[in-house]
Amino acid sequence: MAYAYLFKYIIIGDTGVGKSCLLLQFTDKRFQPVHDLTIGVEFGARMITIDGKQIKLQIWDTAGQESFRSITRSYYRGAAGALLVYDITRRDTFNHLTTWLEDARQHSNSNMVIMLIGNKSDLESRREVKKEEGEAFAREHGLIFMETSAKTASNVEEAFINTAKEIYEKIQEGVFDINNEANGIKIGPQHPTTNSTLPGNQGGQQAGGGCC
Amino acid sequence: MSDSEAIAAEATEVATEDGSPAETPDRSSPTTPDNSTDVAPTRKARRRPEIKPVAEVQENTKVEEQPAEAPTPSQSTVSQGGWGYWGSWGKTILSTATATVATVGQGLTQVIEKAETSLGIPSPTELSAQVEDEQEQAESSSETDRAKGDGSAAVESAMGMLSSLSSVVQSTGKTMITGGLDALEFIGKKTMDVIAEGDPGFKKTKVLMNRNSTLSQVLREAKEREELQTAEKESSDSDKKVVAHYGMLFDEFQGLAHLEALEILSRESESKVKSVLTTLSGEELVQLREDLDLIKESFSLVEFDDEEVDDKKDEDGSEFERELTEALEGLSVSATAEKLSKACSSTCSQITDMTKPEQEEEDSEDGVKKTLSVEEVHAAAIRSLAELTARSIELFHKLAEMILFSNSSTEASALSQLTVVLCKEISLLSKKFTSCLTTAGSNEKGDVLNPLITGVFLEASNSASYIQDAFQLLMPIVEISHIQRSAESTEQ
Repeated sequence: MAYAYLFKYIIIGDTGVGKSCLLLQFTDKRFQPVHDLTIGVEFGARMITIDGKQIKLQIWDTAGQESFRSITRSYYRGAAGALLVYDITRRDTFNHLTTWLEDARQHSNSNMVIMLIGNKSDLESRREVKKEEGEAFAREHGLIFMETSAKTASNVEEAFINTAKEIYEKIQEGVFDINNEANGIKIGPQHPTTNSTLPGNQGGQQAGGGCC
Repeated sequence: MSDSEAIAAEATEVATEDGSPAETPDRSSPTTPDNSTDVAPTRKARRRPEIKPVAEVQENTKVEEQPAEAPTPSQSTVSQGGWGYWGSWGKTILSTATATVATVGQGLTQVIEKAETSLGIPSPTELSAQVEDEQEQAESSSETDRAKGDGSAAVESAMGMLSSLSSVVQSTGKTMITGGLDALEFIGKKTMDVIAEGDPGFKKTKVLMNRNSTLSQVLREAKEREELQTAEKESSDSDKKVVAHYGMLFDEFQGLAHLEALEILSRESESKVKSVLTTLSGEELVQLREDLDLIKESFSLVEFDDEEVDDKKDEDGSEFERELTEALEGLSVSATAEKLSKACSSTCSQITDMTKPEQEEEDSEDGVKKTLSVEEVHAAAIRSLAELTARSIELFHKLAEMILFSNSSTEASALSQLTVVLCKEISLLSKKFTSCLTTAGSNEKGDVLNPLITGVFLEASNSASYIQDAFQLLMPIVEISHIQRSAESTEQ
């Protein structure tokens, strides 16, 4: 499948907040209550459409365990978007957000779009962190905010897609230099119709070398 | 963009070249179906790790280059570090080409010496110097080419290209000597053209020699080209054929992502090792250098003899699973290894399914058995190779993470053993698939079947190269892990 852009995402946050479950729900539309502990980083990819353009999301789902932190930090670089996830039923995961945020800002590019996600919204009875608190934290640090449930799929699509929309807008505004891959954005292979005259022109090999 | 088209053309060129036995004796077997199972697809890939011959050739080149100029700096730098593989490999080709030209030059002088007396032509030394000059120009112009090299280096066709490059040069040489003096101009201009521009394989090799171009970039670009081609085909071609694109499939199985992540870890470890080396001095430094040399050594000793790979064995992939488990003992990456084993056993059962109906058909000819077309078998083969390679790269990536994470002692020899096991499996499966192809295509013409068989061998050879390159990426990781461990032990 050809795409106009490829965005690299990272998912970060404490262990057990549901990072891998969010990814699985987004890419496979299913929920797995028991998930293996993520080692280092795992991957997922999905195509979405924004403004009539095909965009491929390449998602790096990092391990939440503290002991993996030195490895996972290496992967932050070159991400266009980050999903920072906490568990609304565990206050400590919310309290750690500042550390995660500092880490993310330090090891990635400054334009990275960060989406704060309060996951497990289906477990209303066990809620420890109010929605307003999440909103306030997001406002304070300039993040987008959403509460999701990987289990019921509530807001999962929206979380991933809204992040992409924000990145897309930044591209339109010229904030992101799309030619710099360190920004986590790659331009897809050019659409064939735009250069349909070229295939017959075998002599253009030299010239073609320069454009890629 | 016209590039992609050109590369497509090149790819088919390679296919046809490889199909004719006269061109490349190494690959002649695919044309004769009976022998096809004996072909070792990874044989070429295996060559690269052999350090010794490369060193020899390098020496030769130096001797030949003395009258001209010292080797260009970039040439010597490429053979360092993780990309040393590509570097020395590319260099071998370069030297083969130069060596051939040099020999041709000598032959020429003899011809000239004879003709000179009667024709009054400049002295042979002058002429041969001219050849060298031109050669030099060719090299320097290729230098600049390299800089703007489009990185589209399809590793895929490079292999075939190399042999065709040297054969072109060689045959040019023959023509030249028999053709007499006219050939001087021919060899001067033509060889330069061939080396610098005409042969895309050489261009690609140069791109591969470029340290800035990483393996994942090479693969990503190959995939993007394929995506473009598919899009073009979809719009123009109405008849639907089963086409398998290795690069796209490799990406689908997240091979690219794992490779990119592995490259990140490898790069970071490499720079850490370097900075540690700058902080040390005296005995400590000597000791560490010795240790690192030992590690490097075990990373350069990967070799396996695919003559030994017997395609009769390992029907269901259980043998592979056993060998894999053995190689991974104590490396705690069972989950990933399981994925790889599963991919392998499903490939094996696929092959079994492919071969079974054929046999039954022989018994009862009226039976309406669904036999797969050669295109379908080919597609299955490419898909399996792409999946197994992606899973292998994933395994190496997970190993890298575990080595960095646990900081337990990891024997490089275990990793090289693993590489051998993986490459063997790729070789074995490609042999099985090509024999399926020959059976399925027994009624097809050679020009339909041969490119498909060549395609499978080509991708198998590439798969083995990718696996070996991923293995090389582990070296700085093992090094930094060693450094950290010895630092911990001295602290205690």
